[in-house]
Amino acid sequence: MAKKADTPNRINALLQDVGQMMILNADPTERLQDTHLRVENLPIQLVRPDPAQPRRVLPETIYQAFHQQHLTPYQALKELVQLVQIAARQKGRPFTHVLDLLPNPNDETETDVPVTLTPEEILLRDLVNLAVTIRDDGQVNPLTVVDKSEGMAHIYQIETGERRYWATWLMMEFLPGYQGDGSIPCIIVPSNRASVFRQAKENTSRAGLNAIAMARQSALLVLAVHGIRPPLDGPVSNDFYRLALEFTLRDQREHVNDILAAMGGITRSYFSYYKSLLRLSDEAIELADRHNIDEKRLRYVVSLPSEAQTEMVRQIIDFGLTSAQVKELCSEGDGASDVSRNDGVSKKTRQLVKLIRSTIDTEPSQVAHALVEQEKSVHMATARLNELRELLIQVEEFLNDL
Amino acid sequence: MTPVFVLTNHKGGVGKSTSATNIAYGISQMLAQFGVANHRVLLIDTDSQGHATLVTTSRNDFGREDSLYTVLNADRKDATTILKQCIVASEWDANLHVLPASPLLEAAERELIAVPGAPYRLSEPLSQIASHYAAVVIDTRPSFSLLTEMSLIAATDALIPIEPRYLETVGLESVVNKIESIRQGWRCPDLKVGGIVVTKLDKRMKGHVEMLDGLKAHPVLGRLLCGVIPANEAVAYAHHAHKSVYEYNPECPASQAYAVLAAQLIKKTMVIRGGA
Repeated sequence: MAKKADTPNRINALLQDVGQMMILNADPTERLQDTHLRVENLPIQLVRPDPAQPRRVLPETIYQAFHQQHLTPYQALKELVQLVQIAARQKGRPFTHVLDLLPNPNDETETDVPVTLTPEEILLRDLVNLAVTIRDDGQVNPLTVVDKSEGMAHIYQIETGERRYWATWLMMEFLPGYQGDGSIPCIIVPSNRASVFRQAKENTSRAGLNAIAMARQSALLVLAVHGIRPPLDGPVSNDFYRLALEFTLRDQREHVNDILAAMGGITRSYFSYYKSLLRLSDEAIELADRHNIDEKRLRYVVSLPSEAQTEMVRQIIDFGLTSAQVKELCSEGDGASDVSRNDGVSKKTRQLVKLIRSTIDTEPSQVAHALVEQEKSVHMATARLNELRELLIQVEEFLNDL
Repeated sequence: MTPVFVLTNHKGGVGKSTSATNIAYGISQMLAQFGVANHRVLLIDTDSQGHATLVTTSRNDFGREDSLYTVLNADRKDATTILKQCIVASEWDANLHVLPASPLLEAAERELIAVPGAPYRLSEPLSQIASHYAAVVIDTRPSFSLLTEMSLIAATDALIPIEPRYLETVGLESVVNKIESIRQGWRCPDLKVGGIVVTKLDKRMKGHVEMLDGLKAHPVLGRLLCGVIPANEAVAYAHHAHKSVYEYNPECPASQAYAVLAAQLIKKTMVIRGGA
C-alpha cells in the first residue's frame, strides 16, 4: 500500500529532483519561458483596467461606478457618450453618433476658428480617433497586462494601455465595420514580475502624465516601499493616496534613488511638490485632473483653505491664470495677519472699508482700465472682481445677521 | 504559445487517460516547484467514458449544461464564455483545471457531423483562453472520430501512448500517418508528433524488452520515443483512490517515470535558450 506520511513533501521532492536534473542543470543557458514576457491575443472580457493606475481615463463618477462593478465596460462607455452629448449640447454643438466628433475632411462649411472643447469632449474624440485607427490599421502596440488570475477566475490587469482598451471597446460596440473576434493583443507580465516601480517607469517615460497623476504615482511609490498596497478590488480613493503624506523621502533613504528614477528622474523638491498636491480637496483634485492643470500653478493652491481651493482651480481653468498670477492671488491672504491691537481688524480691512465710501465719485470704465493696468491682464482683473464680488456677498450676509 | 498536448491512439486501454492526468498534474506541480507564476494546466477530457474527469474531479455527472458537450453545442460567439464557465478545478490541485467529459459526447458526434465548421468547435474557443494556462492536455477516445479530430486540430503536440506489443507497434505508423493527414488536411501547421510514450512496460517479459529495443532502434520512431512508463499496480490503486500516481506513491516506478516524462515535455516546449 501507499505510504501516507508527509506525501506532499515527497511529491515535491520527486518533481523538484527530476526537474532540476533534467531541465535546470542540463544547460545553464536554458530557462523556463513563462518566467518572461509573452505576447498573446486575449479576449477583451478577461482584461480589466487597474483601479490604482495614476493616469485615469474615465471621468471620476464613471470611474467609481465601473470599479465598484456597477457598470460593465459597455455601460461605462455609454455613460461617457451621454455625458459628452449633454456637455456638447450645452455648448451648442450637439451630435448623435460618436463619429460626428471627428472632423469631416469633405465638409467645407466647417470654419477654421478653433473651438474650445470640454475635457470630456476631448477624451471621447481622442478615443474615437484611436478606435478608428485600430479598426482600420489594427492594434500596433499591445497592451501590457499582469496575470492576476486566481483559482478559476481569469483576470489580466492592465499595466499600460488603458486608453487602447477603452478604444477597443468603443470600436466593438459603437463603431460600424468591426470584424474582429473580440480579442486584444497583450504583453503578459507574470504576476511575480509586476511592480509599482515598473508601472511608474512605463507611465513617466511617456508624455501626458498630468500633475495629479504624478501626485498619485508618487504616493503609490512611497506607500509601496512601506508595504502599503491599494485595495485589491474597487476604486482607489484620494484618502488612500493621502496616506503617503505621512511619509517623507527621508524615511526611505535606501529607496530614494529608485523612487526618483521611477518618477522620471525628477529632483527631490519636485517630488515633494507633486506629493503635496494630494493635500488638495477631492473636488479640486478632480477638476485639476480633468483639465490637466500643471503642478506650477497648483502648488500655490495647496496653501489655501480647502473650501477655497476648488474656487481657485476653477478660476485657473476659466481665466487661464499663469503660475505668477496664481501665486499672487494665493499669497494675498498672508497679509491678513496685520491686525490692529484694539478690535482685531487688520489695517488692510480698514483701508478697504474706507475705499467703499469713494464709489460714488468713481467711473466704472476708469476702474476697469485701472484694474487691467494694475493686474496687467483682463483675465486677472476679472478674477479680482470675482473675488471682490464673493467678499461683498459674504459681507452682506454678515450685515443681515447684525 | 501555450503547448497543447493531445494523448491519442485508436487502440483502447493503452493508458491515455492515466498518462493525460498524470502528465497534466506533473507539469503543473513541476512548474510550481520552479517558481513559475502561471503554473495552471487545463485537462480536457473528450472521451465520453469520462475516466480522466472521474479520477480528477471525483464526479461523473457532468452533462448538458456543464461539460465539453455544452461547449461543442454553443453558438460560435458564445463558445469562449461557455468554455470558461464549464471548466472546473480538479480535486488534485487548485491549479489543475478540468473541462469535463459527459456521456452525451457520443450523441454530440452524431449531432455535429454535418454541421459546417464542426471540427473547429474545440480549437476556436480554446485558442482564446489557452494563454491563461502554462499547458493544455487533451485526453481522447480510442478511435479516430470527429472528437479526436477536433482535439488534434486544437493541439500543438500529439503524444502517442502504446503498449509494447506487436500489434500495437504495427498500428503505430498508421497513427502517425493519421496525425500527418490532419496536419495537412485541416491546415494545422502547429501540430506535430510530440512523442511516443511506451506504457505498461514489464521488464520481466522478454517480448516487451525486445519491442522497446526495436522501437529505440527504429530510425524515425526511435527519435520520437519520449517516455517509458513501467507496469505498476500503484497506477490502478491510484485510479481507485481518485489520486494522481505521484500522490498515491511518490516513490513507485510509475511516479518516477511520469515525472521524467513531464520534465521532458516542459524541456521540449517551455524552455528557451538564452541569458536570464
